[in-house]
Amino acid sequence: MALTVENLSKNFGKTTVFKDISFTVDRGEIVCIMGKSGEGKTTLLRCINNLETVDSGSIKINNLYLCNEVNGKIQYASKENMKEIRQEMGLVFQNYNLFPHMTVMENILEAPLFLKKTNRKDIEKRANYLISELELKDKENNYPYQLSGGQKQRVAIARACMLNPSILCFDEPTSALDESTRSQISKIIRNLASQNIAIIIVTHDNAFVEEISQRVITLSNGSISE
Amino acid sequence: MEMNVLNMLIPMTLNGLIITIGVFVITLVVSIPLSLVVALLRMSKNKIVSSIMGGYIYIMRGTPLLLQLMFIFFGFHYVPVIGYAFSRYQAIFIAFIINYTAYFAEIFRGGINSIDVGQYEGAAVLGLSRTHTFIKIIMPQVIRNVIPSIANEVITLVKDTSLVYILGVSDILKAAKAVSNKYSSFSPYIYIGVVYLAITAVLTRVLNRIENKFNYFR
Repeated sequence: MALTVENLSKNFGKTTVFKDISFTVDRGEIVCIMGKSGEGKTTLLRCINNLETVDSGSIKINNLYLCNEVNGKIQYASKENMKEIRQEMGLVFQNYNLFPHMTVMENILEAPLFLKKTNRKDIEKRANYLISELELKDKENNYPYQLSGGQKQRVAIARACMLNPSILCFDEPTSALDESTRSQISKIIRNLASQNIAIIIVTHDNAFVEEISQRVITLSNGSISE
Repeated sequence: MEMNVLNMLIPMTLNGLIITIGVFVITLVVSIPLSLVVALLRMSKNKIVSSIMGGYIYIMRGTPLLLQLMFIFFGFHYVPVIGYAFSRYQAIFIAFIINYTAYFAEIFRGGINSIDVGQYEGAAVLGLSRTHTFIKIIMPQVIRNVIPSIANEVITLVKDTSLVYILGVSDILKAAKAVSNKYSSFSPYIYIGVVYLAITAVLTRVLNRIENKFNYFR
């Protein structure tokens, strides 16, 4: 399994967001997490990506625990393991969170150049491949403010894919897109899944879910149903 | 008589300019980097450190620079244990640096706080370290946001340099006063006003250029 979530609970103060939820996502699978606004879909995604802490339960990415409950206490991965886990995960934010002072190319190159997993030549080769795959060829020197919503989305996807993640998460990927851009994004996501990447999508867009998902997880009143 | 005024004023003004520009440049060069450190300490999660920085900023912003100059030169050696008699120039540089550091620190703090949390999260999910995120992702955006406020303070600093007269140091305003007293004329003040305006015009141009340079993104 690419992702294993077991008995996960999260509270904000006295408010329970979700309780004892468990699910798995395999490589190459497209799983949509649905639910009404405020049901905790985005919080769940943020917990999986270590942007929020959890109160109990475990999250396992491939063979490494991001967090695990030991003797009733949550233990997070060591710094070294966390580094490895980070590179297995990718997240495309709802508002993309591109770096506004960097061009498309600089946004895409920033993380791999910092992490230095391979040499610069190979990194640039992969960036150019992703740029042409995602139809951003003439936009590589543009700044985020010069791009449309769909183009920003594709830059965010390219940026997340640069580290070859085994799991790619999307938070409301279609919320700001028109019909044709939505089809384009769903084609891209299907293509990523075919490359053996586990895809997790948080959305409340029913049409998009019907179009793309292989499995739907519904979050309601703090628990999930499939 | 006007020629006599100018003949006396010009060399005195040139000497005074060395003090004015010297105080201005040294204050900027030291206080801007120092203010970034103070801003970060002010934002520290350690409440003691944050409170100490808050107190320092409160004192610097809550009392006149003139009083701070006087205290450091005339009063600091009376302070028990740490008291020390600073020279005129030491007192001037210390007072200007610690005063402007406090103002710049608050500007930087506001700039850092104005950055969307999504920028930090975007960097975190990409595996960028906190230091790398701060230097390469946050700071370029902070600098762009704070340039107009920093520019304002920089121009105020030029005019504040005239306060060094209180310690008997001859800047350009003191030169005007000396010439004015000798010839019972107000015109030296007008000439010096023009010198201040010229310095401000050059600075405004330089600061606008810097601002435009950072306007390549939104």
